[in-house]
Amino acid sequence: MSRELVSANHAAAMAAVLAARANRSGRGFGSGVYPITPQTECIELLCEEEIEKGQVVRVESEHSAMAVCIGFSLGGARTFTASSSNGLAYMAENVFNAAFYRLPVVMMAVNRTLGPPWNIWVDHGDTLMLRDAGWVQLYCEDNQEVADTILAAYRLGEDPRILLPVMVCQDAFILSHTMMLTDFPEQPEVDAFLPPLELPHRLTDRPRVVGGLDFPRETEVHRIQHANAMALVPEVYREVQATFRSRFGRALADPVVPYRVEDAEMLLVSMGTTASTVRTVVDRARERGIRAGALRLRMFRPFPEEALRGYLAGRARVGVLDRNLCPGLGGIVWAELRGVAPPGCLVQGYVLGMGGGDIRPEHVERVLQDLTSRQRAGEPSFVEVGS
Amino acid sequence: MSQARDTQASERAAMEIRLHGRGGQGGVTCAKLLAAVYARLGKAVQTFGDYAGERSGAPIRAYTRVSDSPISNRNKLYQPDHLVVLDPTLLGPEVVSGLAEGGTLLLNTPLSPEAMAAQFGRFRLATVDATAIARKHGIGTRSVVIVNTTLAGAFARALDLPLEVLEAAYRELGFESNVPAAREAYSALRVREAPAGGGRLPRPAVLPGLPAVLPLSEHKEGPPTGLKTGSWRTQAPFYLRNPAPCSVRCPAGNDVVGFVQALARSGEAAAAEVLGRTTPLSAVCGRVCPAPCMEGCNRRELDGAVNVRGLERWIAERVPVAVRAAPAHPSPRRIAIVGGGPAGLSAAYVLATAGHRPIIFEAERELGGVLRTGIPTYRLSRAALDGEIDSILRLGVEVRSGQKVDRARIPELARAHDALLIATGLQRLRRVDGPGEALSGVEQGIHFLRRINLGEKARLSGAVVVLGGGNTAMDCARSALRAGAAKVTVVYRRTRAEMPAIAEEIDQAVEEGVELVFLRQPLGFAGAGKLEAVELAEVELGPPDASGRRRPVTTDRKTSLGCDLALLALGQSADASLLPAGWKLEAGRAHADGRPLNVFAAGDFSTGEGTVAHAIGDGRRAAQRALAALGLEAEVWAPPDAPKAVRPQDVRMGHFEGRPPAHEPTAPAAERVHNFEEVGRGLRDGAEARRCFSCGDCTSCDTCLVYCPEGIIRRKGTAYEVDLAFCKGCGICVAECPRKAMEMRAS
Ligand code: SF4
Ligand code: SF4
Ligand code: SF4
Repeated sequence: MSRELVSANHAAAMAAVLAARANRSGRGFGSGVYPITPQTECIELLCEEEIEKGQVVRVESEHSAMAVCIGFSLGGARTFTASSSNGLAYMAENVFNAAFYRLPVVMMAVNRTLGPPWNIWVDHGDTLMLRDAGWVQLYCEDNQEVADTILAAYRLGEDPRILLPVMVCQDAFILSHTMMLTDFPEQPEVDAFLPPLELPHRLTDRPRVVGGLDFPRETEVHRIQHANAMALVPEVYREVQATFRSRFGRALADPVVPYRVEDAEMLLVSMGTTASTVRTVVDRARERGIRAGALRLRMFRPFPEEALRGYLAGRARVGVLDRNLCPGLGGIVWAELRGVAPPGCLVQGYVLGMGGGDIRPEHVERVLQDLTSRQRAGEPSFVEVGS
Repeated sequence: MSQARDTQASERAAMEIRLHGRGGQGGVTCAKLLAAVYARLGKAVQTFGDYAGERSGAPIRAYTRVSDSPISNRNKLYQPDHLVVLDPTLLGPEVVSGLAEGGTLLLNTPLSPEAMAAQFGRFRLATVDATAIARKHGIGTRSVVIVNTTLAGAFARALDLPLEVLEAAYRELGFESNVPAAREAYSALRVREAPAGGGRLPRPAVLPGLPAVLPLSEHKEGPPTGLKTGSWRTQAPFYLRNPAPCSVRCPAGNDVVGFVQALARSGEAAAAEVLGRTTPLSAVCGRVCPAPCMEGCNRRELDGAVNVRGLERWIAERVPVAVRAAPAHPSPRRIAIVGGGPAGLSAAYVLATAGHRPIIFEAERELGGVLRTGIPTYRLSRAALDGEIDSILRLGVEVRSGQKVDRARIPELARAHDALLIATGLQRLRRVDGPGEALSGVEQGIHFLRRINLGEKARLSGAVVVLGGGNTAMDCARSALRAGAAKVTVVYRRTRAEMPAIAEEIDQAVEEGVELVFLRQPLGFAGAGKLEAVELAEVELGPPDASGRRRPVTTDRKTSLGCDLALLALGQSADASLLPAGWKLEAGRAHADGRPLNVFAAGDFSTGEGTVAHAIGDGRRAAQRALAALGLEAEVWAPPDAPKAVRPQDVRMGHFEGRPPAHEPTAPAAERVHNFEEVGRGLRDGAEARRCFSCGDCTSCDTCLVYCPEGIIRRKGTAYEVDLAFCKGCGICVAECPRKAMEMRAS
């Protein structure tokens, strides 16, 4: 194991390179890359690395970057790319394609506000825009988790029962450009954790059509198979967690991460780094005798319904902190979470930190105050944060 | 790790450091260095910059958190324990906001902490002039000084961090070469403790009020920005002419970049004018100079040196260089010059163009010295030589030819003239000093060349051995071939790599059939009445000597080489016996009884350097010295400062397209060995000049103007003007200048 002081951008690239090398006894590694702030550092590092049986192709757009990954993956190679914000929007068509081809592509997405007007800071709206693309989506909270989740994403997505692409999401700058000490396993450990990819439908020297025309019946079946694979993700993810722990000696966080929930009357639910600040506020509330707890939603697709139902059972109030906005609906996490809350539970949505404002404990205190004093749930409420 | 952290609170207890700098100063790297130091001390660390759509030069902040327990705070820092300010111009109330009384305020400034105390005395003040230290240690980009690593050294001192840990962190991050600067800052730091009673007070965080924002359906009014980015600046660009390596290396002192660029930009007349400022002998140098300018040419690093020698010839063949008007001096002086070789001619040229009366005393019938007697016509056509000598004479130079001046006549000449220059060249010839040297068939190469060059009968036959490895040896060998020798062998005591002769001369000699034998030292000559063989000892190369060349070590293995003629080209030195008894040369001027005389040495006689270009440069110097001694001209040319010349790494090669150098066509070897006609035919055109980078000399290429991110460089004639109200001092213009015609200076 080595411990390095690196940004989460670099952590992602370093993990991807370990995974790439682990497939050298298989069909190697290939990647299509295109830069965009704030992920550029990630692909820059990737481009600098010499990878045996590996190739990084610098293309002219995000759309092509994903197309290159699709090509490599169809050829049986392990693959990786990174993007962000409007880059993801431009890539979108091929993001769907990767999933519909059932290719275990891994993409690191740095969450950045969609423009215009241009804004380079964090907001989850970009990857949430792709929530229906058929990918597994995992959101990280710190640098170590970014590195670990990239490795886990390969094990998960390449599982023959799953065969789905995985998006590993991290907050712009707060993670992408923040350097922290991060542990990386040695190559042999990664080799053992990630056996060579065996893509059952990979192209061989016998010409075949992929993704030709589907008639309604075929599409119907393919979609159901896609849904079934998604449904299996939580179970396979548990297996990945167990293997991860035994190989690397540390835990891989759950799809839903609880904090001081045992006797909590109310829960604050968030994604990404907001959860760190929420925990501080929960601690302060506990000091004042308020029985607050928190959930961090780490897996957004598939939506970890079962786990959430379990944590929400018996709670009186739930506040959902969304760092995104679906205009006309509200926060997306809130909208989805409402469906799994037990009857009688007050679920209130809060939208804050859009555009990358620094969500400070004082902002979350306001959320908590509002939640405790509320008689019933209402329209999503905006908490303005500023810069 | 995540899980553990998720189930346990870890608020507070972190030490927080905030850094203030400008985009491009390396504030984020500085914060990372500090984090790396604390990480080595076993702490949890977190470090990040405050990113915006940053323009280089804009104020930026960077942060480092240090804690004994895992850090999960992801907010920016609002109440730092310590503050580091990389750029003193940033200092103001906003920068110190949130810093607790008694907190450390580390400033990069030449001022003492006491001098800052009036304004910031409530803090623990630490100051160091990191900019001066970093500049001294040469830390930075091509254009700007970067202080981050230096300042980190000072921080370590301020916070009592062990220097070894700091150095280890530098090594880890690849800043090892910055350690000396960090160490210097470590010991140079000055600290003023905060008054007692201060210290961190817990303050409730106050959330800032939020500004109003216009709806997108409304137009913003006014110019995009009224920001005077000039206030960000600590350094400003400066246009200047940096010496080009070609010019620095030219022993004649020619403005090489100047004449090449004049040719490229304005044509051969302008180029000839530049040449004529320093030399009257361009047609000569353009043929026979070993061209140290080309050895130093930065373009070698891209695709081959600019063919400067070829260009010099090309220009002089079209426009004579020695045609400068000679204004009559109000009181012209008569100055005698002994020796009409290149040094004497150069001196005469300087004196004549200054309106004085030079009188050359020449031993031969015609002027030219070694150019006429030593250099064969196949290298230097006599038409070219005569043309340039005529040009010089037309400026008003008197000639007394066929007059060999001996030692006895020197004082007399000195008395009869306002000044006397001695430019007799190298007269003393080195010998083998072995048995048989007096045999017929053993001859000094210089004498042989003189016979050939002055048209005396010199038909040869049989085998010729030439001893030596310099240009004289090559001249002897190739002349011997042309004179009919059946076989010519050059014997040199080192190897090809060490041969002092011009590389092209060696190549051409080999092409013509000259054989080279290396690692042989002549011992003597054998023969009964007439030379039959040269006796040689084998040589091995030993360890390098002071000049870096491997020293030849003579072994006792002997060989002998049969031949009919042996030509000695072992080197020459000045014949000091020309100086009257009691006279001594000091810095090129003769002294008698410690008193300076108006007698000066010039050229090879003075320097012993042995190239035409050296002779030209030194002839000019001697003439200027003489004028200065007569109270007439203050400026004496001195070879420029070599270390300051533009280096290859200063040139932005990427701005230039590759194009191989133009070579002179030459007569075919099989043809040319039968005659003494010029081998080099001269460049076909002057296009080669456009390959010149113009090192250190602005070409008005507009690159700086185009690259300036603020768009505030404007043309002003052929020069440029920087709008300092907006220049933020980023140094991009300087970094992008293809030829180092700019530099950043403190502002
Ligand atoms: S490129 Fe031009 S200016 Fe530069 S060293 Fe060569 S000849 Fe001189
Ligand atoms: S970039 Fe071009 S115009 Fe500007 S200083 Fe350099 S040579 Fe001159
Ligand atoms: S590029 Fe422009 S702003 Fe930057 S230093 Fe040069 S003139 Fe100033």
